[in-house]
Amino acid sequence: MKDNDPVLMEDVAEGAPRNLSRRQFLVTSAGVASGALVIGMGIPLTPARAAGTDQMAPGTNVPAFLEIRPDNRVRLLSPFNEGGQGIFTGMAQIVGEELDADPESFIVENAPAGHDYLVVFGKMRITGGSLSTRSSYDTMRRLGALGRQMLLEAAAAQLNVAVDSLTTEPGQVVHTVSGQKIAYGDLAKAALDLPVPDPKSVKLKDPKDFRWIKQPFKRLDVPDKATGKAIYAMDCKVEGMLHAAVQHAPRLGLKPGDIRNLADVQAMKGVHSVHKLDGAVAVVAERFWVAKLGADALQVDWQEPTEAEKAKIRYMPADFSTEAFARHLTEAKGDGTEAESHGNIKTAFDGPGKVISATYHSQYVHHAQLEPASTLARFNADGTLDIWLPNQAPEQFQAQIAKVAGLKPEQVNVNSPLLGGFFGRHFLYPGANPYPQAVALAKAVGRPVKVIWTREQEFLRDPLRPMAAVRFRGALDASGMPVAIEAISATEGPSEALRGHNPKKVDSNAVEGLTGKAYAIPNRRIAQIYVKNPTSLAYWRSVGHSMNDFLYEGFLDEMADAGGKDPYDLRMTLLKGNARLTNLLKAVGDLSGGWKRGPFTAPDGTRRARGVAMASPFGSEAAAIAEVSIDPAGKVVVHDVWEAIDPGSIVNPALVKLQAMSAATLGVSQVLMEEVIYKTGEPEARNYDLYPILPPDRAPRIHVRIVESGAQMGGVGEPPLPAVPAAIGNAVSHLTGKRVRSMPLDKLTLAT
Amino acid sequence: MKKVLTTFIAAIIVVAGALAWYVTRKPASPFDTVAAASAPSADLIAEGKYVARTADCVACHSVPGGQPFAGGLKMGTPLGDIYTTNITPDPKDGIGAYTLADFDRAIRQGVAKDGHRLYPAMPYPSYSKMSDADIRALYAYFMHDVKPQAVANTPSAIPSPMNMRWPIALWNAAFAPSRPYSNVKAHDAEWNRGAYLVQGPGHCGSCHTPRGAAFNEKGMTQNSKLYLSGALLDGWYAPSLRSDPNTGLGRWTEADIYAFLKNGRNGHGVVFGSMLEAYNNSTQFLSDADLHAIAHYLKSLPGDPARDGAPFAYSDATMAQLTPAQRMSVPGAQIFAAKCSFCHKLDGKGQDPWIPPLAGATSSLVPDAASQINVVLNGSGRVMANGMPDSYRMPPYRAQLSDKEVAEVLTFVRKAWGNHGGPVDAKGVAALRARTDPASPQVIVLQMR
Amino acid sequence: MKLKINGHSVEVTSDPDTPLLWVIRDELGMTGTKFGCGLAQCGACSVMLDGKVARSCVTPLSSVGAAEVTTIEAVEADPVGQRVVEKWIAHQVPQCGYCQSGQVVAATALLKENPKPSRDDIAAAMVNLCRCGTYNRISDAMLDLAGLGTAKDGETL
Ligand code: FES
Ligand code: FES
Repeated sequence: MKDNDPVLMEDVAEGAPRNLSRRQFLVTSAGVASGALVIGMGIPLTPARAAGTDQMAPGTNVPAFLEIRPDNRVRLLSPFNEGGQGIFTGMAQIVGEELDADPESFIVENAPAGHDYLVVFGKMRITGGSLSTRSSYDTMRRLGALGRQMLLEAAAAQLNVAVDSLTTEPGQVVHTVSGQKIAYGDLAKAALDLPVPDPKSVKLKDPKDFRWIKQPFKRLDVPDKATGKAIYAMDCKVEGMLHAAVQHAPRLGLKPGDIRNLADVQAMKGVHSVHKLDGAVAVVAERFWVAKLGADALQVDWQEPTEAEKAKIRYMPADFSTEAFARHLTEAKGDGTEAESHGNIKTAFDGPGKVISATYHSQYVHHAQLEPASTLARFNADGTLDIWLPNQAPEQFQAQIAKVAGLKPEQVNVNSPLLGGFFGRHFLYPGANPYPQAVALAKAVGRPVKVIWTREQEFLRDPLRPMAAVRFRGALDASGMPVAIEAISATEGPSEALRGHNPKKVDSNAVEGLTGKAYAIPNRRIAQIYVKNPTSLAYWRSVGHSMNDFLYEGFLDEMADAGGKDPYDLRMTLLKGNARLTNLLKAVGDLSGGWKRGPFTAPDGTRRARGVAMASPFGSEAAAIAEVSIDPAGKVVVHDVWEAIDPGSIVNPALVKLQAMSAATLGVSQVLMEEVIYKTGEPEARNYDLYPILPPDRAPRIHVRIVESGAQMGGVGEPPLPAVPAAIGNAVSHLTGKRVRSMPLDKLTLAT
Repeated sequence: MKKVLTTFIAAIIVVAGALAWYVTRKPASPFDTVAAASAPSADLIAEGKYVARTADCVACHSVPGGQPFAGGLKMGTPLGDIYTTNITPDPKDGIGAYTLADFDRAIRQGVAKDGHRLYPAMPYPSYSKMSDADIRALYAYFMHDVKPQAVANTPSAIPSPMNMRWPIALWNAAFAPSRPYSNVKAHDAEWNRGAYLVQGPGHCGSCHTPRGAAFNEKGMTQNSKLYLSGALLDGWYAPSLRSDPNTGLGRWTEADIYAFLKNGRNGHGVVFGSMLEAYNNSTQFLSDADLHAIAHYLKSLPGDPARDGAPFAYSDATMAQLTPAQRMSVPGAQIFAAKCSFCHKLDGKGQDPWIPPLAGATSSLVPDAASQINVVLNGSGRVMANGMPDSYRMPPYRAQLSDKEVAEVLTFVRKAWGNHGGPVDAKGVAALRARTDPASPQVIVLQMR
Repeated sequence: MKLKINGHSVEVTSDPDTPLLWVIRDELGMTGTKFGCGLAQCGACSVMLDGKVARSCVTPLSSVGAAEVTTIEAVEADPVGQRVVEKWIAHQVPQCGYCQSGQVVAATALLKENPKPSRDDIAAAMVNLCRCGTYNRISDAMLDLAGLGTAKDGETL
């Protein structure tokens, strides 16, 4: 598997042709202070503009993406959703560059579902896999260039001059000879009615002429987010809407039986109705709080599924505990199915040098995005369905929602408001998205319904990053250099959990980060033993890398220690000849003021050590160094994280830096404190109280250096994460003299 | 009242003596010669159901999600776990074969039908004060309104010879009076009704009265100054129910007590810990007259100034320590501000009546901090009033605060705003952490049918 | 019940135990104040009560009384709030933005109480969670607002 491949979803929904006449609707927010806020979504197109949509290659139908207003503002419908990663700004920069329009004049919104927007490698659409920019960079530039060409043609017609006598300046077409200028806003109506030129006919800019790409351009979404004006799915509302809250079955697979106090809840003031759903009971009310209290109050007799039903679903047994499951994974027998192999692993361990082995563990973690899941559904008189929900893949949701609603995909208008964080949470996961509930309820009550999952209900259904136990073996030669490494991961990967396990195949997402390492260890073998997992599983920021690089880089440090090598030097040696990675490793060393492992005493008197780690996720390269100490209560303090990241080439250094800081912080959070614990078939934590996430007083200072090697463009949102937990783990191991082989570190009893 | 056995078993072993005749004999019951009605009136059954509420049978004899009264609640003891029994009228697994006299002996004397002695986790020393009429009604209820459940009892995990039951008879002879309540002439009917409910079916003393070396309650009536004067049990400190202004009900009016038992809350506090269970399953179902009677009786119990100390007076001097500029340097103050103050408010006054005050709260003034430690580590369950869950709940902080931090924040709280409960040390926190679990955030309703 | 909010006085009909958060979001239709946990854990629901930060998810309507409620929607009407917003933009603080209404309100409340907070004051007051990891930029913006300069050169955006 190559990280440049679109790995996340193989079943690509094609996207229905857009129902253009029905795209205009209102989201009202009539508040005391805000007044009426009207957001139009979608772009109304004239029939001429809409014609031919289905025949055009994704990313070329300019009118489906761009609206240029009389005031010269450019409205761009982005194929990627904004959830904090800055993609709206990046898209404005890319399109604006070739359109020759200041990205600052852009208003960006997420595009509806539709064939035109399948721009990920020209065939699919997800916001995930750190794919957005790298998979669509050329396409979106070309889109801007096509738009510019149409404006030029419209101007030529208006001025009655030859197209090639015209050029552009930001926001306007210029007739060089006469000096005449026409603003884009005055040309847009005519321009966007023209046929879109052949995509091959436009020439893209020479990067040396870039005006905006590569600049640390400020984010377009920040002002609204700093003033509470940004609208998330949770905030959407429509006229006549009812609210719903649910009580989920405490375990996956249980079904609602009798509701003992049904009449009492139905009689609550403000309650509209109570509904049994799949694995849940919902209370619909005029206001959310009433619905929430009602849902909490329901005394539901939860029923076990039949054996036949159990076979078809992920069933959570009543005695499932993570502690026992960790043992079960550790005890998994066999050599597993091979994912990667070099040299000869059979003989590599026969040499005269040391052989070491260890078992490492990764834990279940929550996405814990700050906005819990919600969905608003409205059936219209013409049989169509408008739906607002957080999602990372509108066409895939559209296809599934249509099935649930009994409609054709083109009858479902998917609206994708801003995401209050996602980290992999908002893909299609069975049982983990509220849209089936919202659709069923809206249908049942004949009014629009918004379902909000409280944090407790969210944590009960959030699909998890998998647990794994990884058995490592390593062999050193007489000089202490690693000559062989084997890693066998006992786990179920997220992709096989979602799409079915193929006994002949490894789930590449389960082993990435064990595979794909760049170190020149001559003999290596990476394998997976499939172990079925009863929880639902998911992609979590940087997926397999988020855990596997921690495990691999930890064991590599063990090999360094066993061979008497400094871990930084060892990595340098193992990367000899790899200019890109030695350069990167050197960059992070320099950024940290020169590699020093410690332990040493800091000016404030604390004993500290540093650890280093690297990762090659999602087409990019990362190297991190972390400095830690242990506080008097035995808790790890991460003081600083230095990270060098090489995504090949970049669009906006400010966005790359933001993403690196964000990913690194999430890495710190998961390695220090995060773990989903099951005891009796139920997750113990239902809120941030028992599932704490990194609070500000434990956040380290993060220092980022971007290295542009010029290699093929890689991802940015996820790649900075995996090296960070590993660097912290290695620092802690060195400081305490006790090898850390599992997360979270807060669970361990540590002392220096 | 759950899990009272913590030190009891160890105590009774010491009390071992002979007299096999005495310790195995079945005591007499006034019902020995009386037959129960085979078809009791609906009124009698309804009355019995009410008595079951006053005695809170369901709290111990049911488990969440289990069948009503089928038993199975685990009670940990140092000698091993024991489990409450099936008290449904199932002839094999339950008490279906019990005559009225057998039933009476179990409830008021702690002797099962086959003659074995019940562990006094069953509060029969209190129930022994119940009236014949209540027993008769209760029997009618259990035999005719509770559904038989074929749920086998779980044997106790106490190993032999510590599992011998006969020494309990000796303990009973010493500590369990076994005499029904009789009215105290000097007091009016309301007072006597309150006294009956508190001492008898309500078995308030099981938690609120301190216990002696043999785990006996040091006082079963108002005649003892120690009766209901506050006690530590099973990780919770049940405060004084006497008129002690700091550690008891001295600052509460009868109306306050009534509101607490009826609504689970008043301006002084909200039910938590074991009292939350007593409220959810028992007190809220009592009649207004009975609740007023309880309040009336409790208010008649004098406090003990020598034990209680100088009465609490609110002081706002603490506020200076809670400004952002100060709180990083006062141990516990920042934790209080960041984790506690949003609900209990910076001034410690809470949000009457939904979120309890910490300033002047009994739990902030009693010398034993177990309840506060417990509630900080584990949070509190959902208060259920009238079938509706509370809008607010106390979250558990065991995953966020170290033993030292819990100790610091509680030490801060216990001397803030005029509180004088005394400091908390990290060891006490560690000990409670090790043997407790977080409260469920889900609503738990124990069904009676 | 009367509620004084953002300079208006409005009549609200929610039950007295309803969290102020849902009165604001549902009954009054202002969605800038966010729901993250409902349990005083995250701070996304922060508002000001008489200028002091409060978590509206654990503020029963009945305990608001005569206090003046200020939500994010009115933060810019306050000169202190306006400065906070400016610096939030200058330092490019938000990512997904979901926690940021609460962060801005908490920052404004602190600066209204103490226009020149120290590093400790900032650490003491800025305790809201952010899943996107904007903590470094929050402290940079706060140090800037407090006139303490930014952390280290080249580390803000
Ligand atoms: S929603 Fe109020 S603190 Fe999280
Ligand atoms: S910006 Fe996303 S949670 Fe803070």
